[in-house]
Amino acid sequence: MTNDQPPADGQVAESVAEFLASFSYGSRTDLNFKFLKSLDDEAAKEFIRQLFDAVGTAYDTGQLDAIVESAVAAQIAGYTPNPDKRGKTILHDDGPFHRPTKPLNESRVGLLTTSGHFVNGDVPRPLVASSMPQDEPIDRIGDFIGSESTLSEIPSGTATDNLRVRHGGYDITSAAIDPNVCFPIDVLRTMESDGTIGSRAPTFFSFPGATAQGKLRKVAPSWVDRIRDEHVDVLLLVPV
Amino acid sequence: MSVGHIARGAEEAGIATVTVMIEAFEHRAREARFARTLSTHFPMGRPLGAVHDRERQRAVLESAFNLLETATEAPTIERFGQRWRNGVTA
Repeated sequence: MTNDQPPADGQVAESVAEFLASFSYGSRTDLNFKFLKSLDDEAAKEFIRQLFDAVGTAYDTGQLDAIVESAVAAQIAGYTPNPDKRGKTILHDDGPFHRPTKPLNESRVGLLTTSGHFVNGDVPRPLVASSMPQDEPIDRIGDFIGSESTLSEIPSGTATDNLRVRHGGYDITSAAIDPNVCFPIDVLRTMESDGTIGSRAPTFFSFPGATAQGKLRKVAPSWVDRIRDEHVDVLLLVPV
Repeated sequence: MSVGHIARGAEEAGIATVTVMIEAFEHRAREARFARTLSTHFPMGRPLGAVHDRERQRAVLESAFNLLETATEAPTIERFGQRWRNGVTA
């Protein structure tokens, strides 16, 4: 016996593909699960089955590990491209590689993330208001992608409760509660204090990564120049 | 990838770079030939770990910075050896 039923007369069934796509800037937008649109129907069904199984187990164990693992595994499957559908991906034949000239505990470390953090009051216009719930950048994701991104300068002594974040490409819930999940300002300060790193750069940087590659290629040289002004030996990059 | 142009420019300018990203994006580090990458088996938006988990966040950075000593060519990609654990109350 099965409870799978066709739609009643006059009703149009939502396809599995339409359901999955609705989580990515659609009627059910959830940036934690926007990768669902990239899963084929069977992979998505198996993910949901595994997720429910893990939830059922958690009722008894209280352990969330299996739930998170099923989501992370599906996320990897969703974002890893099909080699037959490479699209416009830019492939590089070589990668520049600079060997550090001094040990880490003598190096000045810089930070640049795509988390979209900024200092409260230093509003990265024109796309951001002083207060920004996530709905706005989600609704304006096309504007973000098509606009030249603003590189926010964040003094590395800034208190984390004085940081704000806006981004239309990932779920910012954790990044707003604790910036260190993707903008490790406190962790680097601790590593400086205990001598693990030589020093931190006076200024850290962040911008919203949901920006067209062409726009980023255009601004990259000036941003690198700005980073060089910090006289860093090492640059930690965190794409989110 | 969003930091690819910056990473290449920094390396060419004599700044050693190390990138931390979630495993789901690892293919991009390979395609863009990032110098040094540590990938984490974590949910999107939390590449360094859960909220207020300073111990795990630091462990990620220590693993990443270790690549400054061990990597000899681009792209060097390693996976962080610890799985996700839940956030902690501040």
